[in-house]
Parts: sequence; structure tokens; C-alpha cells
Amino acid sequence: MATLTRQDLNFGQVVADILCEFLEVAIHLILYVREIYPSGIFQKRKKYNVPVQMSCHPELNQYIQDTLHCVKPLIQKNEAEKVVMVIMDKEHHPVERFVFEISQPPLLSISSETLLSHVEQLLRAMILKISVCDAVLDNNPPGCTFTLLVHTREAATRNMEKVQVIKDFPWIVADEQEVHMEEAKLIPLKTMTSDILKVSHSQLFCTESQKLNEIL
Amino acid sequence: MDYLYLDNIDEFVNDQNKIVTYKWLSLTLGVHVNTAKQMLYHYLQQKRNEGSGTPLHATYLVSGKCVENGSKCHKVSVVREDKLNAVKAKMDVTISVHVYSVQRAELKDSSPLYNTDYDAVKENIKNCNKYSTIRCAAAVPMSSAEVQRAQEMALVPPAGKEISKTGLNENTSATPKPSAKQPAGIMGMFASKNASKSQESSKEVKTEQKDDSSLVETSKSKTASKANPMSNLFGKSAQKKADEKPNKSIKEETAASSTAPAIMKQSQTSPKSKIDIKDEQSKVSSALKVESKDTRNKTKRPEVVDSDDEKMESQQKKRRRIKKPQPDSSDDEVVPDSPPVPNVQTPSPKKQVKREHVSHQEESSEVKRRKRRRVLKSHTFVDEEGSFVTEKGYVSESYSESEEEPEPNSQAKDSSSLKQSFGKREEEKKEKREKKTSTANKPTKQPSIMGFFQKK
Repeated sequence: MATLTRQDLNFGQVVADILCEFLEVAIHLILYVREIYPSGIFQKRKKYNVPVQMSCHPELNQYIQDTLHCVKPLIQKNEAEKVVMVIMDKEHHPVERFVFEISQPPLLSISSETLLSHVEQLLRAMILKISVCDAVLDNNPPGCTFTLLVHTREAATRNMEKVQVIKDFPWIVADEQEVHMEEAKLIPLKTMTSDILKVSHSQLFCTESQKLNEIL
Repeated sequence: MDYLYLDNIDEFVNDQNKIVTYKWLSLTLGVHVNTAKQMLYHYLQQKRNEGSGTPLHATYLVSGKCVENGSKCHKVSVVREDKLNAVKAKMDVTISVHVYSVQRAELKDSSPLYNTDYDAVKENIKNCNKYSTIRCAAAVPMSSAEVQRAQEMALVPPAGKEISKTGLNENTSATPKPSAKQPAGIMGMFASKNASKSQESSKEVKTEQKDDSSLVETSKSKTASKANPMSNLFGKSAQKKADEKPNKSIKEETAASSTAPAIMKQSQTSPKSKIDIKDEQSKVSSALKVESKDTRNKTKRPEVVDSDDEKMESQQKKRRRIKKPQPDSSDDEVVPDSPPVPNVQTPSPKKQVKREHVSHQEESSEVKRRKRRRVLKSHTFVDEEGSFVTEKGYVSESYSESEEEPEPNSQAKDSSSLKQSFGKREEEKKEKREKKTSTANKPTKQPSIMGFFQKK
């Protein structure tokens, strides 16, 4: 496999592809583990050589794919700071937020298959961590929904509004209510450092609303 | 025995929030598997006695003899703690029960268990049975020549020999039974596109009957084998074989709950039984020896096939769209919606046959006529809205070298919009025809330009 450097157009694309695939799997897995949707719609599929649960619902899948399709160019240009999956209760107050912090090293290159299998191993570990995250998280109230947020730069948002990557799939600026969570408790889940996602590492953590405990 | 291991396990389980399986523990600490099982048991007892805060969950491996569907079988399953007694009661004879894993999280399905062991086993792949008790003198690594041979043989026998995807359903208690019926109901609500997908996935269940003679039967689903591109490539013989074998295609959801095939994580025996499979399948017999162990590995295969299949389907779909002739639309800008392809599961031979058929037709037509050539002609007409539209299109005309009169023959006029948005379809068709024309005409002579001036 050829050595790709940052200057190659392909580098950003490869990294973005890897990340978006991983995000898709992670999102489906979180939906399964946190019981946002009934487990009947999930089906076992294989990713990174391990079984993962993916949903079969066409509209849900389409939504997730479209979202990530729009996020991909941001990741390619390294403009996406974090991708957040917010789980909200019936009143649209965020209950949990799964934050994927992404950062890419400025000057590194990827080469050889061993590196990619190493990345695969790390992603596998991430997936495992998501599977067991319910040990550290409290149960969610019934009737939760989810939404996906991307934290990026001002210029990028302008671009996204101007150029609709996917037709009829507009991105809007998130409400303060959705972004800010009261009395959030930070629970780090997994950190992953690799040569393609280095410097400030890729983190997955979960913030949970404390307020919920009081209500329950 | 020193008790440091208790602290180790405690650290893994509580601090690092890991799933500690006995296999992982034995590979990590370098102890025999039986020792690892006892360690886990000991740890669990201690924690339970202490009654400390964080709840621990455990899974157990239960194996025993029972009667299912009227036949005796040896069942091995990984069960959650809350289902343990129920499963034990179901068995006639319980042969062994031991702790499989300890973790803090309450697992919803069995995938994380596999995921846990994956890396540990991969690192020790050459000697992953170092600490295990299962020994087989015949199980030695194959030489590379043998490996190659085996791979070739593996391609030929029905790749449609599906193995149950029931990683989900093998865990009799890890997944609750009502959810088994739920997928069938919920799946039915989805569009037909997904119904076909679910059809493939609702596949066979393995029923295992392991007596001393260890006869095992597999069931295959016809749709799966049919849709499988591999089996199509390797022909009708493969399909025939698939059809001959007893086709007990039971819907996995309802059947799996009753038949509950076994899981055994004894990877050492799997190479041996894999070889058995290939030999047996070459004979036409109703009973197949299928590897019963390590069904987690096997569940991989149908998923791989599924994903390949879906890719094929989507590619086929795309190809079909391109092939469909563009309706004569006068509106250049509108991208016409190609009608949804009705039959998603078209196997590749059909398409190939179609291509061949078309090419045959063209060839015969070429040979009969005089030489044909394609000429770019522009055609101006008034469209529905009253505006003039000029379209350039390739028109195949017949001509002969002696007379230089091109006879316009708009038999195959394809109008391609200037924007060429769906020109791809046209190009492909044209290319085909061009190919045919080029092969039919032997000496292609450029028509003289004087022909244009002479004929008026």
C-alpha cells in the first residue's frame, strides 16, 4: 500500500472515510445499548471483525448516513472539532451526550497495512467500550430521542448552509437548549491515539445530566 | 495459592470496566483455563459475600444433554445468570457449569463477549490452546500447499452453505425470547426492499445432534443460496446440491428459540471439523458434518455474504438504472427518475444473459446489412413547451463503400441531452454498438468528404 502524506488529496479522504464508518457503527451501537429504539429493529452485522448491532430501519439508517455524509467534508478539511450524539428526553432536554472529539495530526502520514490494522484494533476497543458503557451510566427515561450535532467553525457553517451537500437535508444551528446540559457529569469512556488521529487524541466521553437523578 | 489474582480481577472489572472472560483471563495471567474459571468463581463469591456497592453480572457456560424436537442432543450454551437455573432445569443431565465471564455491565447481547476475546486470541493465535485442556493429536497446522488446496476447494462447494447467523439466538438467555418474535413483526412493517434483506437474514438454524457418532445436520435457506453470487458463479451444480440437501428452512426467530444450537468456544477443534465439512459436502448425502464449535466464528460468514450480496445488489441496481433507455424527454435539465427496479434479487447470470442476447441481436443485424456507421447528427424539433430543442445524437446509418450515399436510418436513434446527465446510459449502449460495428467492419475506410458535395 502506498505511503500517503498529508499533501495527498487522498489522505484526508481516507481518514474521513474511516472516521465516518466508525461513527456510523458507534451511533447504531449507542442506539442499541441505550435502548433508544426497540432492539427488534437491530440486526447483527460485522465490522472490524466483530459483531455489531446495526439498525434495519430504512429511514433511521438514511438519516444517519445523510448526516455523516454532510459531516465528512468537514472532517476531510479537519474542521470538525467534535461530533456529539445527544440523547434527549420527551421534553427535549438533553439527558446524555456522547461526544466524539476528533483531531488530526498536521504532519503525519499513513502507510502500510499494519497501521490500519492497528487503527482497527483501536476502533474495536472503542466499540467494546460503548457496549459496556451502561455499567457507568444510569438508565434513561422512556421515550428518548436522539440528535446529532457537529461542532465546527463559523466559516464552515456558512458553507454548509450555502451548499447543501444533500438535497432537502438542511443543517441548522443547534439550540442552546440542546447543546448545554445542566449539571453535567463527565464520564470519560475511551481515548484513542493513533498516527492518523494524534496530537490531541480522539476521545469519547459521555456527559450525563445529574438532574435526572433527582427527578427519578 | 496466593490471592493476588483477586485484586487483579477486581482491577479489571471495577476500575477498567472490562469484561473478564475466563479465556481472556487465562491468556492474560498465563494460567490454565480451569484455574481461570476457578479464579472467577472465587472472585464472584467473595464479592457477593461482601455485598459491596457495585453490582456484578456474570455469564455461565452450561453444557448437558437434553432432548429437543424428539432427538437427543448435547447442548452447550452461554447463559446469563438470571436464566441459569431455568436452563439447567431444562437439561436431562447437566455435565458442566462454570463461570464464563464477569463484568459490571448487564450485557444485552453476546457480541461484546466475542469482542473481548478477539484481540487476546489473535495475539496468541499460534498457541491459543496453550492453557486449554482440549487436545487433538491430528490438529496440526497445515502446510501452505494444503492451505491453498483447501481454499480452492472451499470456493467450489456451495458457498451457499450458509451457517446460521444466530449468534443472537444461540445465546438462549442472553437475548430474551419475546424479542425473537418481535423482529419478525417489526421487519414486516418495513418496505419491501428491506423485506428482501430480512429474508436473507432470516435463515437457517442449525440443529445439532451430537451423539457419540456426532451426526450434525444443517439447514439452508433457498433464498440465501440463490441470492448468493458465489454460488451462481460456480453454477448450477452448486445450486442443485443445495436443493438436494434437506432444506429445513425454518424461520430463525421462532425456531431458534426452540432449537437453541450450541456454542462452544473451543477453537481448537474447529480446524478439524472444517476439513470434515469440505469432504462431506462433495458427497451427496443428507447428513452433513458441520462444525458445531465456535459458532461465533461461523456467524461471521453469513454476515460477510450478506454484505457482499447487498453490495452486489446495489451495484446491479445501479447498472440496471444505467442500462434503462432514457425516455425521450425534451427537458434537458430534469433528471428523470428511473423507475424503481422491481426485482432486487436479480442474480448476475440474468444480466449477463441479457447482455449476450442484446449483443447477439446486434451482431446478426450487422452482418446482414451493409456497413453501418454511427454519425453524429443534430436534430432540431419543437418540444411540448413550444421551444426549439436541438439534440445531438448518434444515428447509425448504413452505407456502402461504393456509393457514398449515406442512407439515414434512424432505427437506433438515441437522443442524448447536451448536458449528458444521463448520457452514461447512452454511451454504454453506443459503445456496445460501436464495438459491434467496429468488429463487424473489417477494413474501415473513412468516407470521402467529396460525397457530401456530390450528392445534393
